[in-house]
Amino acid sequence: MIEAIGLVKAYGDHIAVDHLNFTVEKGQILGFLGPNGAGKSTTMNMLTGYISATEGTILVNGYDVLEEPELAKKSIGYLPEQPPVYPDMTVTEYLKFVTELKKVPKKDREREVERVIEVTQLQPMRGRLIQHLSKGYRQRVGIAQALVGNPEVIILDEPTVGLDPKQIIEIRDLMKSLAKEHTVLLSSHIMQEISAVCDHIMIISHGKLVLSGTPEELQKQANQGENIELEAMATKEQVTAMLERLEGVTEIAELPSESENSYAVSIQSTVDLREKLFTMFAEAKLPLLKLVRTKKTLEDIFLEATSAQPVAEEEEASEVLAESAEEVTTEAEVAGETVAEENEEKEEA
Amino acid sequence: MLAIYKKELRAYFNSIVGWLFLAFFLVFVGIYVYLYNFLKGLTFIGYALSSISLVFALLVPMVTMRIMAEEKRQKTDQLLLTAPISIWKIVLGKYLALVTLAGIAMVLISVYPLIFSMFGMVNFGMSYAAILGFFLVSCAYMAIGLFISSLTDSQAFAAVMTFIVVLLTCLADGIANLIPKTAKAAWVTYTVVLALLAVWLWRAMKNTTVALIVFSVCEVILTVLYLTNGAMFEGTVSKVFGAFSILAVFDKTLTGVLELRLPVYYISIAFVFCYLTYQNIRKRRYS
Repeated sequence: MIEAIGLVKAYGDHIAVDHLNFTVEKGQILGFLGPNGAGKSTTMNMLTGYISATEGTILVNGYDVLEEPELAKKSIGYLPEQPPVYPDMTVTEYLKFVTELKKVPKKDREREVERVIEVTQLQPMRGRLIQHLSKGYRQRVGIAQALVGNPEVIILDEPTVGLDPKQIIEIRDLMKSLAKEHTVLLSSHIMQEISAVCDHIMIISHGKLVLSGTPEELQKQANQGENIELEAMATKEQVTAMLERLEGVTEIAELPSESENSYAVSIQSTVDLREKLFTMFAEAKLPLLKLVRTKKTLEDIFLEATSAQPVAEEEEASEVLAESAEEVTTEAEVAGETVAEENEEKEEA
Repeated sequence: MLAIYKKELRAYFNSIVGWLFLAFFLVFVGIYVYLYNFLKGLTFIGYALSSISLVFALLVPMVTMRIMAEEKRQKTDQLLLTAPISIWKIVLGKYLALVTLAGIAMVLISVYPLIFSMFGMVNFGMSYAAILGFFLVSCAYMAIGLFISSLTDSQAFAAVMTFIVVLLTCLADGIANLIPKTAKAAWVTYTVVLALLAVWLWRAMKNTTVALIVFSVCEVILTVLYLTNGAMFEGTVSKVFGAFSILAVFDKTLTGVLELRLPVYYISIAFVFCYLTYQNIRKRRYS
């Protein structure tokens, strides 16, 4: 439904979106996740044809956004970051205008306005001027506007901003129900939001794709192997000597310990080592103060993925821009996490 | 296109702006009609119209200032530009709404010749030619206002700029007459213009060498032409300035001559500025 190939947006020297490749299938809810300024809105603005890409192609419903803008735009409903509403119109007036703008046949216009008002539950506000609406209602008018004409692709930029918890749940349910017939693309900087709604997540940082997959996949990749935190009343040498004898340990990292007499580490391993560790330390008469199996949450993955972009890489990115698109993709992949790499290959296949 | 046209027109008459535009226009026309036609007993409305041309400087910015700038400021341009409608139609829809506004004003003043005819002989052909000419002038000014509004997201800036530009074109004739007509003055003026162009080129290209070379080459050509054939330059500056006097063509209708030049001239201006607006919106997507 949506296909973006080698998408680049550069503002002078600043590269907002850096060779982004992705596809969204019909019926999918894709979530764009990234910290503020990651390039989510810029990407969405390019997908909808509001701004043009510096490089790359976008196909929506098979139409090139730049070559056949009217056909491509006809299949998109878009809610930008700030709902594009006219404060001096009433809700119904505004939606009526949108139906005209989106070329809904004249006889269906009234019905279409009623439909989107009902879907977004705007009935009590229908006669009010938009400038008198609260932010949450204004956001809903924005969503209603995106639904007008029943477009195949719905793109929502941070749709739940400014809504209260009850409304957020309603909007999430709405998005899920939309996905039955539509392709939905939404962005957020909140992991829970994306993982609650989307069946595919793309994490973007500094304009680059750093991780992508279903929530389950991401969760699984994050918890590949076991992660144990251990603290014992022992010296560093004693602990490392013990751990060396163990099989299956892949990585050991020192952690800050509670006191001078103790030593703490985090252990990455292929199997659950807790039982062995316990007996080993008990036999050696080294008291264990802590033995915890930790699990990474999606939140951790998000933070890890988005903070793992050092400043040096940005410089590299601008150098790389001069090279061919293919080379850059591979470099970006190498730079990203190994998990991301596997995943991207999967996507390309 | 129709959707945007209707929306704009509704916006004018749902707010005070459209009514105020018509009211001010009628007040100004009324005052001059009273002074020229009723007090002096003339039956040709053209005299009143030509006297109020400065009113454009006030009324045009009033209706054009928000038309593009406000969309940009409240980000509703995102709705328009992502809708399945071409940019041309957006521009045209908005422009036609402005033209309609001017048209309504002209229809209202079309009553005057009929009233005059109750008191004496009226040359209807001449009168309505003058009103038509006046309408075309306002169409041209509306397009200029539309373009200026598309340059910014500040209504106030758009209003002030439009006011200055319209005022300058109204005064261009007078200024042109005051400019010295000697060849030397022309040479100095063109040098200054060339220098400004070079500065613009330098800012746009960020390349000092190219700007300097272009400036030097043009300056040398200019100077050589001035030294060899100085007479050629005489009076050209005031002519160029005079060309900015959009009203000059309209003033011809006052003598009872309705040339084909009149509609062609004003419609061309309108088209050029609509096209510039279109290009300006297009360009914004690439920056």
